[in-house]
Amino acid sequence: MLLLGKIGIGLMGTVLVGGAIASSEGFIHVKVNEKQTNGTHISLIVPAVIMPMAVEFIPRHHLRDASANLQQFMPIIDAAMSGLADCPDGPLVEVLDSDSHVTVVKSGGSIVLDADDPDETVHVAVPLRATQRAIDMIAEANGPS
Amino acid sequence: MKTALSALALLFVTTAVVAAPPEHYLHVKVDGTNTKELVRVNIPLSLAEKVIPAINSGQLRDGKVQMGNFRCDSVDLQAIINAVKAAPDGEFVTVQEPGTNVRVAKERGQMIVHVTDKDNGQKVDVTIPWQVAEALASATHQRELNLEAAIQALDRAGDATLVTVTDNDETVRVWIDSRNSSD
Repeated sequence: MLLLGKIGIGLMGTVLVGGAIASSEGFIHVKVNEKQTNGTHISLIVPAVIMPMAVEFIPRHHLRDASANLQQFMPIIDAAMSGLADCPDGPLVEVLDSDSHVTVVKSGGSIVLDADDPDETVHVAVPLRATQRAIDMIAEANGPS
Repeated sequence: MKTALSALALLFVTTAVVAAPPEHYLHVKVDGTNTKELVRVNIPLSLAEKVIPAINSGQLRDGKVQMGNFRCDSVDLQAIINAVKAAPDGEFVTVQEPGTNVRVAKERGQMIVHVTDKDNGQKVDVTIPWQVAEALASATHQRELNLEAAIQALDRAGDATLVTVTDNDETVRVWIDSRNSSD
């Protein structure tokens, strides 16, 4: 009984630590709702920590073009990411016309994009820190392996 | 008890004084009267201060804008700005043509430019706080404008409407304040 308890505590600890690691970088949330009948509805929530991990699994030769293109913009991307991380939460961009509405908001360390048009609604939330790490890894893909 | 209250009051006042100044935002609002389109952009100035020096493309390099073919090699732009700053408020330039009025003036420590184009129903108002004009002209080379310094000066200038453009189709407004969203 005591052994079972220890195993239980061990498992619970592992789950807690795993959960803490998984949520440490926040979550990527993608939600798409097509408005027509039988339209697709997708809601995806994944820990942002997998984004840099996923980049690790992409063969380097596939990243070379992206890396070369990114290199020239890295100072701007780094500055923008750092600036966005430090600035307070709030709406950054809003575009409204007769039938669509798009907003880009900084919220709790994430950039949140919402789009609503006659065909679909889209919600994308991406944590800044994980995005920065993934971009850095792609940019470095051209470096020595 | 009195000592504790005094200490608390002192702590409160110190915190209020030491607290970081509020973030200022550069707001751009484009309102299409006929098209019913609305665009709002709210850029934290701290973000602009970081990003602008990082851009090295075209005429923008190291936070400074090259003025292209504009030549003022023998003109001390900074001296002119200082002279205008020292001058009393008043109208500097007034142009009145059929259909077009232009007015450049100094009012309450700000440079004001009004342009009215009656033929196109267009009206442009530009207000430049002095510290921003000085910062723009503070580049080391004569043919550059120091955009980075201007953004920092805007941050210190406080709330102000910088540009208003109104015509028959749309209204554009650019302004600075400490609210994180436009009206």
